[in-house]
Amino acid sequence: MKRDKDKRKRGRKISSLFLSPSILGVLVFFVLPFFVVIFYSVVDNPISHQFVFLDNFKMVFNNAAFRQAAANTMKFSAIAVPLAVVLSLGLAMLLDSKMPFKSQFRTFFLTPMMVPIASIVLIWQVLFHYNGMVNDITSLFGMGKIDWLKSDHAQIVIIVLFLWKNLGYNMILFMAALSSIPKDILEVAILESAKPWQIFWFIKIRYLSSTLLFVTIMSLINSFKVFREIYLLTDDYPYPTVYMMQHFMNNTFGKLDYQRLSAAAIMMSLVMVVIIGILFLAENYFGRDVEG
Amino acid sequence: MRMKNWLAAGIAMAAALALAGCGGKGKEESVPEAAENAKDDYIYVAEYESLGGDDYAVGNAMMDGQGTVYFVGVKENKAKLFARKMDGSQEEIPVDLDENTMISVIGKDVEGNLLLGLVTYDQIGGMESKPQNAAIRKISADGTVLQDIDTGKTMIKDDGFYMQGLLQDKDGNYYVCLQNSIYVVKQDGQPYCEIDVGTYIGSMFDVKGEKVLVSYFGEMTYELQEVDLAGKRLKALDTPMTFEYGTYLSGGETADILYTAGTKLYTYNLGDEEPVEILNWVDSDIYSENLRNFQILADGRVVAFSVDWSSEKAKSELAVLTKKDRSEVPEKVVLTYGTTYLPYFAKADVVAFNKQSDKYRIEIKEYGEGDKDYETMVSLWSADMSSGDGPDIIDMVYCPVGLGELVSMGAVEDLNPYLDGDADVNREDYVENAMKLYEADGKLYAVMRCFGIDTMIGKESDVGSGTSWTLDDLMALVDSKESDVELFEYTTKYNALQMMLAINGDKFVDEENGTCSFQDGEFIKILEFANRFPQDITYDQSGPSSMEKIRNGKLLLLKETVTSVQQYQLYESTFGEPINMIGYPTSGESGTMITPNGTTVAMNANSKNKEGVWEFMKFLLDEERQENLQSANAGFPVLKSALEKQFEKDMTKEYYEDVDGTQKEMPKGVWTTGASGEVTVDVYAASKEQVDRIRQMIDTAGGARIDSQILSIIVDEAQSYFDGQKKAEDVTGLIQERVQVYLNEKR
Repeated sequence: MKRDKDKRKRGRKISSLFLSPSILGVLVFFVLPFFVVIFYSVVDNPISHQFVFLDNFKMVFNNAAFRQAAANTMKFSAIAVPLAVVLSLGLAMLLDSKMPFKSQFRTFFLTPMMVPIASIVLIWQVLFHYNGMVNDITSLFGMGKIDWLKSDHAQIVIIVLFLWKNLGYNMILFMAALSSIPKDILEVAILESAKPWQIFWFIKIRYLSSTLLFVTIMSLINSFKVFREIYLLTDDYPYPTVYMMQHFMNNTFGKLDYQRLSAAAIMMSLVMVVIIGILFLAENYFGRDVEG
Repeated sequence: MRMKNWLAAGIAMAAALALAGCGGKGKEESVPEAAENAKDDYIYVAEYESLGGDDYAVGNAMMDGQGTVYFVGVKENKAKLFARKMDGSQEEIPVDLDENTMISVIGKDVEGNLLLGLVTYDQIGGMESKPQNAAIRKISADGTVLQDIDTGKTMIKDDGFYMQGLLQDKDGNYYVCLQNSIYVVKQDGQPYCEIDVGTYIGSMFDVKGEKVLVSYFGEMTYELQEVDLAGKRLKALDTPMTFEYGTYLSGGETADILYTAGTKLYTYNLGDEEPVEILNWVDSDIYSENLRNFQILADGRVVAFSVDWSSEKAKSELAVLTKKDRSEVPEKVVLTYGTTYLPYFAKADVVAFNKQSDKYRIEIKEYGEGDKDYETMVSLWSADMSSGDGPDIIDMVYCPVGLGELVSMGAVEDLNPYLDGDADVNREDYVENAMKLYEADGKLYAVMRCFGIDTMIGKESDVGSGTSWTLDDLMALVDSKESDVELFEYTTKYNALQMMLAINGDKFVDEENGTCSFQDGEFIKILEFANRFPQDITYDQSGPSSMEKIRNGKLLLLKETVTSVQQYQLYESTFGEPINMIGYPTSGESGTMITPNGTTVAMNANSKNKEGVWEFMKFLLDEERQENLQSANAGFPVLKSALEKQFEKDMTKEYYEDVDGTQKEMPKGVWTTGASGEVTVDVYAASKEQVDRIRQMIDTAGGARIDSQILSIIVDEAQSYFDGQKKAEDVTGLIQERVQVYLNEKR
């Protein structure tokens, strides 16, 4: 008994030793900066450090640019994330069925992941520039030129870019999840004369719930990261419809306005935590009977 | 399930944190600062002495490596040679000179004898004296003549002839360094060759009597080359180091080469990868731009000879620097001066302040040192500022971030309480417009020592005699001229747009209310105006010079920063008729703008030595400092009384007596202008009208500047209009939308 206890104690010590570099890394690079961000958000500026409590939050919340960025980001995520989930699930289902050229299609959808971001931006510029290919094609049908990236159509371009970039990865995750659904349950359902939509809704979706949650969270994160592409396409002050939260943050960082940047980052983090919390609840609800 | 939840939550938090901490560059670089030296346990302490005293003007000095300084003192147009020893004793070395003969340069041979470069003029002291004869004389330390070589007129190419270096190698060949060439004379006095360097030579010196090296600005970089006597040419040095701009001299016994670059003194041995840093001149309160000669003595002391050409009598100074333990030196409060680059005027001000202050000393923190890119400078700077390690004094001209960012960061102190609370400084004594340049929201964030005026200059017959004009007036002027008449020289669409927005930008932006109005006709007019200019320009080397074009009426306007009355006079001479510095077209009162032209500094709000920083600011604004700007063209002083004194000086006629005994007016300055400096203009005392015009410009000049981000958006969008892809109305719509986002964000 005592030997077992000593063994466990030693085991704990060894695992702590192996874990300590990671814990240290997390503390230094994630936890500590988070507290620094909280500190900056409640002081007047990074020099005098006068405590102002929620003033920065009020200032940011009342800022027209912040509101616009938040609205644009929410609108973009609300459209792009469901589309990314639904379309990639559809593609995964399609490739899961008995169709020809499955491997080629898979490769085709994964290709955007291998293209460097600079090349993607270049391709999109060639396509959607005022004198780009898309306008060349539409002009063949007698349509007037559209300044895709500097008009109200800009968000459509960005959504298409986002889907093109992310569908392949999501699709692979769904394909892996689909292949792990127990075959015997599906066979029993077929034998029980279940209709395809019933199999999809009552079996597959239940088994896919955790993957759905993961894909949704990843797509949500990626939807915030689409700033990189927008920034390279349109600079730091783009047309208002594609002015995102990250523009606001990046620009305030550029102006060394750390207090507003920190307040905005915390507000954004809180919103993300709420959204992810809701996703957890949904996943718990739908997946509770298929997981241990 | 719980495990997955934690995993997903972890990912989400990580993403949120990653987004929260966006923008970090993560470059691990540091700023080399003078404070580093403070950590060293030694410092070079300087003792100064005025060489030649009050009686003699000294322009030339040579050191023998043992501590003896040989110098030429000129008094009442008579040159005398002196030797000053390290014990402070000074004796004259008798040199028999013909009338009108001056010692142009002092050199030495490998045995330690002195070499004198002599130039005989047709007259001495007049404004039009011309060199007639050149000679080399070798004398011993007691003045005994060992050799006299008369080179006649062979070296003299023009009236501006002078020798700037002279030495003799171990084979007895004499090397004379002229402005752009090396003239070699054999030991027997026969001319051997002249090696044309093709550009101005910085210095000529020997390396332990073995090699003769020449330093000069090459096509792209600073060059050090060896004189190849057999080939009668210069040849590349076989050494791995790339040389930077500086003053290069013989290293004597200490090293092959002794040189100063930037603010530091180095020794270098040929073949080495790196030089050895000896000291930082700023730490020893020496203004390195004025250094003419320096030497390391056998006992480790450093001797430096400098001439302050900007002072009234070209004050010459000898400094002896002794290496001392820091504990032996009285402690001073250290203030840091933060800048990306240290301009010569700031260096001079810092050195002068350090020299006179018993309590404070300023050390330089150069964020741009080591060719750092802008992003790196900004991140280093902001990291220093937010960690409380920022410089006490912030150079506003060379600060990596703008005033707006500094204010939003809370980095700069409001100077109003200091200005109002100091009995020694009276706000009303300073030029109001200049003091307003760094004001925001009623707070004053920086002070400048002197300023210039940005303006447009044209003939009065073209631009009228008014104090401002509109864009319509400018367009009307252009339309009234032939199509081959240029409005500005070498101006692109982008330049024209930038120029017009510089003064008028604020008309379209209401910063206070966060709105903009680019869609009115006025802005479209500016776009149309800029569109008249070419997209790109090609510099025509063979074409007529600007001056010719102006005088022929083929060029209408010049854009300049005027920093002195003399400059105004120069333009009057250039245009050949009365001119008007009318400024940039504007609907406002004046189209001229004040721009800082000297040390301009702000106080770090987090500085622990604010009193010290204010002392430095007061020093810059002080009457003595204001009345002695580095040169006549350094800018207008901000102190009204100093400005008026300068105007008085500009209007006072000075005379000299020519060979016939006639009193002639002496020029205030001689300016060279034209494409390759082919035109020389003598500027005499200014008239009251000329000074009044400058005074009026200063009184009405504004400080309006368009925000660089707004300008960047405008330029970005205007390009499609210039390219003919979009209509002006479409472009202004886009500018309106994008600038509005920017303004919203700023609020």
